[in-house]
Amino acid sequence: MKLSRNWLRQYVRLYSTTEELQRAITFLGFEVEGVQSTGLPLLQNVVVGEIKTRARHPNADKLSVCTVDVGPAHGGVRTIVCGAHNCDAGNRVPVALPGAVLPGDFKIKSSKIRGEASDGMMCSPDELSLPGGHAGLLILDPAAPVGQPLNEVMPDGDTVFDIEVTPNRPDVLCHLGLARELAAWLKYDVRFPEIKFKGQSKTAPQPDVLKAIRVDAPEDCPLYVGIAVSGVKVGPSPAWMQERLAAVGLRPINNLVDVGNYVMLELGQPLHVFDAKKIAGRSIIVRRATDGEKLLTLDGKERMLNSRMLVIADEAKPLVIAGLMGGHDAGVDPTTTDIVLEAAYFRPQSIRATSRRLGLVSDSSYRFERGVDSHGTSEAARRAIDLILETAGGTVVGPVMKVGDEPRWSREINVTPDYIRAKVGFDITDDEMRDALIGLHLPIKHEHESPAGLEWTVSIPSHRRDLERPIDLVEEVLRIYGTDRVPAAVCAGPALADGDDDPIALFNRRVTEYLVGQHFHEVVNYTLRSHSELATWVSAAAAHELALANPFVDDQSHLRPTLILGILESLKLNQSRGVPAARLFETGRVFMELSGTVHECVAVGFVLCHNPQDRAWLARPEPDFYAVKRHLEVLASAAGIDLAAQELVPVRGAFWGWQEGHSAAAGEMTDGWTARFGLLNLAMVRAAGLEGKVWAGTLALLPQKLAAPAGHRRYQPFSLFPAALRDLALVVDAARHADAVQARLLRAARAATAGGAFAVERVEIFDVYEGAGLPAGKKSLAFALSFRSAERTLTDDEVNAAFAKIQQAVVADGSISIRA
Amino acid sequence: MQETINAILAKAAAELPTLRSRADFEAAKARYVGPHGEFTALMKQMGAVPKEQRPTMGKLVNEAKAQLQARLDAALARIADAEITAQLGPAIDPTLPSPDAGPGSSHPLTLVREEMCRILRKAGFTVVEGPEVETEYYCFDALNTPADHPARDAQDTFYFPEPARFGNVTKKVPGEKYLLRTHTSSVQIRTMLKGEPPIRIVSPGRVYRRDTSDATHSANFHQIECLYVDKNVTVRDLKALLDYIFAALLGKDTMTRFRPHYFGYTEPSFEVDLSAQHLPKVNKDWIEIGGCGMVDPAVFAGVGYDPKIWSGYAFGMGLERLAMLMYGIDDIRYFYQNDLRFLKQFA
Repeated sequence: MKLSRNWLRQYVRLYSTTEELQRAITFLGFEVEGVQSTGLPLLQNVVVGEIKTRARHPNADKLSVCTVDVGPAHGGVRTIVCGAHNCDAGNRVPVALPGAVLPGDFKIKSSKIRGEASDGMMCSPDELSLPGGHAGLLILDPAAPVGQPLNEVMPDGDTVFDIEVTPNRPDVLCHLGLARELAAWLKYDVRFPEIKFKGQSKTAPQPDVLKAIRVDAPEDCPLYVGIAVSGVKVGPSPAWMQERLAAVGLRPINNLVDVGNYVMLELGQPLHVFDAKKIAGRSIIVRRATDGEKLLTLDGKERMLNSRMLVIADEAKPLVIAGLMGGHDAGVDPTTTDIVLEAAYFRPQSIRATSRRLGLVSDSSYRFERGVDSHGTSEAARRAIDLILETAGGTVVGPVMKVGDEPRWSREINVTPDYIRAKVGFDITDDEMRDALIGLHLPIKHEHESPAGLEWTVSIPSHRRDLERPIDLVEEVLRIYGTDRVPAAVCAGPALADGDDDPIALFNRRVTEYLVGQHFHEVVNYTLRSHSELATWVSAAAAHELALANPFVDDQSHLRPTLILGILESLKLNQSRGVPAARLFETGRVFMELSGTVHECVAVGFVLCHNPQDRAWLARPEPDFYAVKRHLEVLASAAGIDLAAQELVPVRGAFWGWQEGHSAAAGEMTDGWTARFGLLNLAMVRAAGLEGKVWAGTLALLPQKLAAPAGHRRYQPFSLFPAALRDLALVVDAARHADAVQARLLRAARAATAGGAFAVERVEIFDVYEGAGLPAGKKSLAFALSFRSAERTLTDDEVNAAFAKIQQAVVADGSISIRA
Repeated sequence: MQETINAILAKAAAELPTLRSRADFEAAKARYVGPHGEFTALMKQMGAVPKEQRPTMGKLVNEAKAQLQARLDAALARIADAEITAQLGPAIDPTLPSPDAGPGSSHPLTLVREEMCRILRKAGFTVVEGPEVETEYYCFDALNTPADHPARDAQDTFYFPEPARFGNVTKKVPGEKYLLRTHTSSVQIRTMLKGEPPIRIVSPGRVYRRDTSDATHSANFHQIECLYVDKNVTVRDLKALLDYIFAALLGKDTMTRFRPHYFGYTEPSFEVDLSAQHLPKVNKDWIEIGGCGMVDPAVFAGVGYDPKIWSGYAFGMGLERLAMLMYGIDDIRYFYQNDLRFLKQFA
């Protein structure tokens, strides 16, 4: 919202500099988004002077020593050293006296220049922020009175503040509104515009100008005021009005339209001016539109209306979309002579809904939807009549027609100064608070002693509907006191013993620490992915259930079900920019299906890329499935999951982009977690434009899986006696999984030692062999078995006996044989 | 005998230095001093030496033995040295780079988030998390944002279509819509509904706005918010927290100030500016860093806290903005492109 300083000055004295005003507006709670100054800024101690004599500076060729008369009030004739070419005797020029501060914080002092005293400075246009450069002095009108402040002889400049008005303060969407605020800050009075038209018309009703006003939808239009004016002459509005409108970015059109805009920007009440002869039947009807009714609006667009929208119509057709925009054919034109001025109060929700529905926002709808003060509606209409009569002539004909009434308004808030002090936490005196409230036009109606101490009954004017409760007055007092004056304090508070950081945060921290330690780089990608990506890498079903209702762009339309897609994109970006990237990871939320609904999951994912393009002077082994598996085990353990104890299933098919035969899955969402890891589908990786082999791992968890308490750990005693070791190679079908064979062997070993004096401690695979010496389709798995007793050193005989039993048991079903 | 001794010694002197392996050495040693060795044989002859010659001969033999032993020891030491040298291989060039993966790195957003959490933890705040998919109640209603408020518009907020079903995001109000949270303040509501004051939490997390992506806007970004609820919490306490946070994060020359503002869920509300001489783009200027205020009594009433008893403050800010300020980053999109040349700068 743009507001002009010159315009504001109509209502409040503004002697402050632009910087001071900007600060005031800011600390009143309106962010200043831009400041634009034109013309001469407000300057203290810069006056008109007349050059009396000019002599060459004895020590500098390019300087002159002048005597300048600045008038008796400023010490009469002064000596000033000047470098300009045009400091000729007789010229009247701006003189900055010692003590003046020129734009750019340039302070003027008495000084010596090359040994000659100089008691002030004569100014170029540039030094005064005026166009005209700095080549020579600004030569003033020879009639400009010597000694007069420059601001009084120069045409006024202006400063326009572009401010952000928060939605709770629609009363500040006009110059008077901000003037009220500035007056409270500067502790000046507000001068309200004087309104001459008192609402009485001297003429009888003239049905040929305006016969009647009917409101069919009073719930959406509680108040409608219409005033007819006859005999107006359409023409340009006066220069002062055009200047003010142009300053805040409105194009002047003609006197009638400009008055409407002017009053809106002055008082905040949007108005509309009808050409009376275009109102069929001379009757104004405020009604709902009919479904399918159309109106060509001022902006040249045909608008399709419906029965929830309010229009201002005549007997034949809609003329205006209420509070939004006038019809193309109903406005005033150069031939207009009779008009009807509309000032109304429309229900904000109705205007907002229509505005949204039509995708149409106007200065008028912007104000109505935030809330216009209905108690100012009639006054604004009368103010506009004054200005119309002043700028377009004519006479008011017939009575002011008013349909409906201002909704009743009366609000008082009881507040104690102690309450305000308790909320802010520091001392503000009663007097300061009282002054703040009164300055904001929030009069204290009563002041009395209550059980809670001194209590005020504060009366709230109708334009401050945002003030409802005592806490709202705390903010008002603090605003005027100055929010930058809140005193410093020590940050203190009781320690709270309600536990640790959220388990999700702890998990993320743990896995991040681990992966960074394993040379991974953390990446962060968008949560929203494209439909085609999901359909390719995941499934059509996932693409369906993860869709947003209203995506903003096509390639960010779906929630991510896996982190891998984003990480691959990061990998690709680096590869395409020639930046070697081998290890990336990400933590974040993913969205997965479980029993027919989508669940938000905590997830960690990583890739390990082997790119043959990346060369090294010393070769290192390529990453492989088992490297990925180890990482996954560590990540799972951060969530309290022992991956080694889980059943691992090979991933089959093109499911989620994993390479068949080179990847594995563990856990089900029904258990609260799921892990997938291994090689990403080579063909898909290549199709995605990536080089090399990409190994990856993902772990997704329901948040409650992490929330389970870890439980208390108990110490397990361990044997101090030596272990007895035996190796055993077993021959099995090549396709058989090692963990099944290992489990078999472990079972046999436990059975063989059950109830005995010692136990099997470990059964570990240490060799896998396939090839010469073995039958085709078979492989050998070699295991190391370790036995130990808690009480003594074992003898060979007892271990051999157990080992023999184990061998017998393990071959019993014929699927396993002992390798000779 | 003298000649025999000299012959053996001469042979040993010639042969031992040529030995290359431990096995050769052991074989050679056996040939000299083993049970059937030449020198052993010589020693055995000592019994046959006439008694009067024995002292002389004995001395000769002992000297020879010592000499021979010294040669053997030297040969063994030389072989052991050679073995170690062979084991070591050629000398390395210490200036060659390690071919192993270089150090990993945390994302700058993680670094800033964790630093903030660490600072807040010292002030007694613990981290809480909440869902990114939210419902209208938690994201808007409970935060005093009325149904027709522009922030709730489908123009600014991502919604899910009507049949969408989220298994672990609970709806509070039947029929309300699912959406992507527009701020982490929804976590405050969930926390307050779950427990009793006093509460001192920090909620970092990802939020979403339906907005054009450019150098300063991103479809998703991150916020970090603090909430403190207790008896007699004041505006001054809030200012104290902010002064503490930013002095801890950015150094003692950092200053903060409040500007009045409006948020539906706090009253009074402020925007927070900070100034820190050493920051790249800040210098003496005031830079807006976040929003804050005293929790609105209506929010307390909504979660069942008596506003007459409880008071509190809330503060929130964008992590990207903070990171951009701290590191002098000028484009928010760099955070999401993940160019390693960018990421490695912050680890």
